[in-house]
Amino acid sequence: MKARRRSHVLAFCIAAATVAVAGMALAQTPAPPAQPASAPPAPVPPATAELREAASKAPAAADLAKGDPGGTVIGNVADVTVTDAKAGITLGDAGNQIGQNKIAINFVWTLVCGFLVMFMQAGFAMVESGLTRVKNANHTYMMNFFVYGCGLLAYWVLGFAIQMGGAAGNGNLGGLNPLNAEHTVSLLGKTWGIFGETGYFLAGTSYDVGVMVIFLFQMVFMDTALTIVTGACAERWKFVTFSLTSVIMGALTYPLFANWAWGGGWLSQLGTNVGLGKGYADFAGSGVVHSVGGLTALAVCLIVGPRIGKYNRDGTSNPIVGHDISAVLIGCFILAFGWFGFNPGSTLGASSNGNLRIGAIAVATMLAGCTGTFGAILYMWISKGKPDASMSGNGLLAGLVAITAPSGFVSAPSAAIIGFVAGILVCVSVSFIENVLKVDDPVGAISVHGTNGLWGVLSVGFFADGTSNYGGSWNGVTGSVTGLFYGDASQLAAQLVGISTLLGFVFSLSFAINMVLEHVVGHRVSAETELNGLDIPEMGQLGYPEFVFRPEIAYSKAA
Amino acid sequence: MAASKSQGSYFGLFLVGGIVACGGIAYAATGAGKLLLLVGAVILVASMVGFFKIKPLEGETPVLSSPEAMKWVGAGVATLGWLVTLGGLRVVQGNGGRIVVALIGIGLSLFGILGVLPAAFNKTAFWKKPSGAATRAGVTSRSGRATVEQEMTASTAMGVTK
Repeated sequence: MKARRRSHVLAFCIAAATVAVAGMALAQTPAPPAQPASAPPAPVPPATAELREAASKAPAAADLAKGDPGGTVIGNVADVTVTDAKAGITLGDAGNQIGQNKIAINFVWTLVCGFLVMFMQAGFAMVESGLTRVKNANHTYMMNFFVYGCGLLAYWVLGFAIQMGGAAGNGNLGGLNPLNAEHTVSLLGKTWGIFGETGYFLAGTSYDVGVMVIFLFQMVFMDTALTIVTGACAERWKFVTFSLTSVIMGALTYPLFANWAWGGGWLSQLGTNVGLGKGYADFAGSGVVHSVGGLTALAVCLIVGPRIGKYNRDGTSNPIVGHDISAVLIGCFILAFGWFGFNPGSTLGASSNGNLRIGAIAVATMLAGCTGTFGAILYMWISKGKPDASMSGNGLLAGLVAITAPSGFVSAPSAAIIGFVAGILVCVSVSFIENVLKVDDPVGAISVHGTNGLWGVLSVGFFADGTSNYGGSWNGVTGSVTGLFYGDASQLAAQLVGISTLLGFVFSLSFAINMVLEHVVGHRVSAETELNGLDIPEMGQLGYPEFVFRPEIAYSKAA
Repeated sequence: MAASKSQGSYFGLFLVGGIVACGGIAYAATGAGKLLLLVGAVILVASMVGFFKIKPLEGETPVLSSPEAMKWVGAGVATLGWLVTLGGLRVVQGNGGRIVVALIGIGLSLFGILGVLPAAFNKTAFWKKPSGAATRAGVTSRSGRATVEQEMTASTAMGVTK
């Protein structure tokens, strides 16, 4: 009796559960639409039919197995990814593949150019170390080595967010949509960008393929700016203070100005907000990278003072020649090679939005380097009687620095003129800084990067010819960047505001930061360390341990 | 003193403080973010105090003290030039006027950077002085064209500074 009642209860429970589950399922499943008794299949659009026909003619596996020495078999419609293999290729699949290809081309282009720029660190290391004395070789090389790590860490943690946190909207790299927060202020009835606010540690929404690409590319640019300072302050700079300066510069000084110019900040808005041309235009960073580095170098050089023996009591200067001119010139070639990543890579893509101009940009870069070398060689040869090797190298670099900002906007003849002027300018500037200002810059970095960086920014305002067309606008202003010589004085005004900001803000900020470091940490090594060479006291090891050092007397007389 | 374990430790502390502080900035909207920012700032200050404490252990540098106020005036003049340029954007409307104001601002900044600051730093430059700390450091330039060798000799003869 009991058993029968239990089985009734169990049966009731099972039935109730079945009804409940069926009810829930019915409630969640929409009723199937009523199908007409005999629906004809949807017509295939002609384009899709054509695609499918092409797919049917694609080489079979047996054909592919024979190999493709001419490269004419693979790479056809069969390689397009389809969403529904059963249905076959559709127009949507083809469109998606085109979009993927555009982004892929731009990613690869930007990444490879970034890798080239990264390799410039090796060039800087060779140039700077070659221009300093052998007793400081390890120290100089190590500064160039460690600046990469200091800058990268600081930029990853903070700098990138400040620079690019509000830089969303770049169609070349898929939109960079996670970088969508720019801190702004309202002034003159307009909104001005001041710094970015997303992208710290590349975490959260910044974990995005496009963001990673732009981070890598912008990071190596930032590191180039940092390494400029190490050359100017070589042979007397404490390693620990150099490290601190580099971290702070990578986290704050550089990203701030870079945001204003490239990250949607107020300098880039001068066109949209107050009608100054297309806003501050600095294609690849004569101002953002080289002037920031050069002016920071000047600030630190002033504080750290000249090397012992550089100046006599009457103010005349003594040449202190470097230990390896071959390293200097090879380093210059490495830098010139890397510059093909620097300038053409700044299109941030090779596909669409006017990016086919990369050829013109590369040639402008090449030409300016060439004429810069000629400018320096001719200046030195005519005025001093010898085609000085180190100044020739500096002439090449000066031409490259100067063309960096205008490279995306100028013609080949203009590039040649800009480079030639830069080659002469670097010689004049080196002499002025050494003999008039009494600032000791062992490698000429202030002149190469600071002076010529400013010249490059200015030259955009004169030489931009209005033929470039990067998606139809620049900095949100319709049209092409056009300088004074081609009819737009307002672009020159925008460039001058940029130069004023570099001199008045970037220099002053760098100076203030490094003055604080001077009081707290101290920039300069002791006189004893300096005279004996920084390799052992600062690094614990000679750069060239098997070398027999010549006494300074012989060295000095030879110089 | 040159490079030392203390320097390495305080530099490490500086990096930790900076990273923690930046973590705080990244999540500043949250309570944990504010706490991280505070902790990071404290670590940064601690590292700076450490650096300041070991600074006297360094040997004497050849650089002599120069007028501090003049240096800040130089930087101030440079900044003023920038502010003049920015002011021009508000006050002046035409391109020509803005170019002129920007040039004035640039000129002012250049005066601060190339005029005032080098004068401030070179006023008591060690290479000008035959006596004082520079002599003790063995780095005084002789009259006229001294050479590196002479300075080395002076340094060796006088006993190089600690």
